[in-house]
Amino acid sequence: MKKYIQPLLPVLTLYIVLLGAGLSIPGLWQPIAFIMFYVVLGQALNMFLGMTGYVDFGYVAFLGLGAYGMALAFSLFTDDGLGSGIIVVGFLMAVIFSILLSMAVGAIALRLRGAYFAIATIGVSEGFKYLIEGARLWGGSEGIIISSQLRDSFGSEMANYLSTFASDILIFAIGILAAILTVYTLHTRAGYALMALREDEDAAKVMGVNVTKYKVMAFGMSAVFAGLIGASAWTLKLTYVFPEDVFNIIYTVEAIVIVMLGGAGTLAGPVVGGLIYGILRYYLATVLPGFQLLVVAPLLVLIVTVFPDGVVGYIKRKLKGSRFSKYVI
Amino acid sequence: MVFFEQLAGNLLYGIILGAVYGLATMGLSQIFGVLKIVNVGHGAFIMVGAYVAYWMFVLYSVNPILSIPVALVIGLALGLGIFYIVIRRLIGAPELASLLATFGIGIFIEEVAKFFWGPDHRGFSWNIGQVDFGITLIPNTKLLAFFSSVIIALILYMLFQRTRIGAAIRAVVEDREGAMVCGIDVSRIYAMSFGIGIAMTVIGGILLTLFIPVGINPYMGGEYTLKAFVIAVLGGLGSPWGAFIGGFIFGLLENGSYTILGLIPGVEPFSLTRFVAFSALLVILLVKPTGLMGGE
Repeated sequence: MKKYIQPLLPVLTLYIVLLGAGLSIPGLWQPIAFIMFYVVLGQALNMFLGMTGYVDFGYVAFLGLGAYGMALAFSLFTDDGLGSGIIVVGFLMAVIFSILLSMAVGAIALRLRGAYFAIATIGVSEGFKYLIEGARLWGGSEGIIISSQLRDSFGSEMANYLSTFASDILIFAIGILAAILTVYTLHTRAGYALMALREDEDAAKVMGVNVTKYKVMAFGMSAVFAGLIGASAWTLKLTYVFPEDVFNIIYTVEAIVIVMLGGAGTLAGPVVGGLIYGILRYYLATVLPGFQLLVVAPLLVLIVTVFPDGVVGYIKRKLKGSRFSKYVI
Repeated sequence: MVFFEQLAGNLLYGIILGAVYGLATMGLSQIFGVLKIVNVGHGAFIMVGAYVAYWMFVLYSVNPILSIPVALVIGLALGLGIFYIVIRRLIGAPELASLLATFGIGIFIEEVAKFFWGPDHRGFSWNIGQVDFGITLIPNTKLLAFFSSVIIALILYMLFQRTRIGAAIRAVVEDREGAMVCGIDVSRIYAMSFGIGIAMTVIGGILLTLFIPVGINPYMGGEYTLKAFVIAVLGGLGSPWGAFIGGFIFGLLENGSYTILGLIPGVEPFSLTRFVAFSALLVILLVKPTGLMGGE
């Protein structure tokens, strides 16, 4: 048990500090919710990119489908009298959609290695966006707006509470869940298998590791968390879903930057990366509105060329052998 | 009958556009073939080419075909600069690093373009008459783009097959260490290949402006990155000539399916065409990842 708790301590402490600060200091809740989105997004992508070393350039598709899952639950079942159960149905649909897509992508793309995989993933997310727009699926390019359904189901006061507060709390919950699952995975057979395949896939295969199984597992897990984030941080919070927004490649870029900045494959990495990036992004939005990527893109290039281990990867190396090493994995 | 006439017209258009697609993809395949790096920021260089054509036309009234030498110089300078600053450090690094770095470079170039030139769609019109093919009218500018693409591809073919530099590049593709032993300066070949690859892409961007009257904006490249992936994979990733032929196939596929999808009521054929293209990409990757013309 201790081996799970020790590395979780720094991460959970940070969450509690953020939550406490957000709740007690007026005006700080929205900025903290903004930063948390990036922390949790990094955690979700880290489950796949960090653990397998594969890049998914179409990662945003999972967030998008999760957002659509929640929106569809509202537009289909509002009149069925589910009460607040409709949110549960929405999350369920988000999870199911993400799993289905991850299975479909996994079946095709995870057979491919490296560059071919990356190319295939771009094809999937773009193809999906164009299918929704082209076949006028789920409202086509006009998207789905659920604000009136939210009001009908919960009343305007509760609907407002849901989108300005409860959806942010849900993001915290998803983040804690993701951290626990990451620690658990890192200490199981699956975690060791993933580490082996990240370092040398052929060698892992020869050693009898079922690489496909573990890749699909990591991919599916990462997809489910992305779906949950999309459902709460987008649909519930913003009360609308537009294909242009929810399939926007910028979120994929941001997620990759966060994971690489913090340190891929570590538990604390995406949390630290998300925190740094979230704060940076928050200030950039006021200093250089609309040009955040102008700063973020060279940052990504800089990280991968001169600092490939990331912040936590660096700290981890420094602490190796000391008594603190158990707290940073 | 109207449908078949339309289809034939669109297919002809597909061949003409396909030549430009092919040229615009050769750089991607060239860079992958020699450096084993996938340039995920490929589309950004197409965008640079489009802006070169635009500014040369608007500021100096130089038409896009005559701007090709300018694009060549800009493309080479850009390619060599990026190679020596970033790419050089990534040779032999894990694939993850080069994928993320080229991705970042592409986005950076787009953002710089947006910073200086704004996010608006721009365009110019260069009208020098048209040719009646019976089934359809094709503007002369597009025919010029077609012939320029074919000629540039041929020049490159000669450069690769008939010159010492070309032989050296082919040797590096074949066997890096063997080439080194023979006294070929491999890192110089890498630099040149990257430079030439980027220059070809920028030139491709110039010629593409003749097909998109008002479509020049900082983010236009994303679409062409994806198309270039489809085309490069069609031609067997790593072979510039395969990519050139892949361009024709893609042009035919895109414009043919547009005509056919237009028959389905209640859909947006333009978006669906792209869906078809990406589905084709996935099917090819799954069935024969070495490309239609690639070997084992």
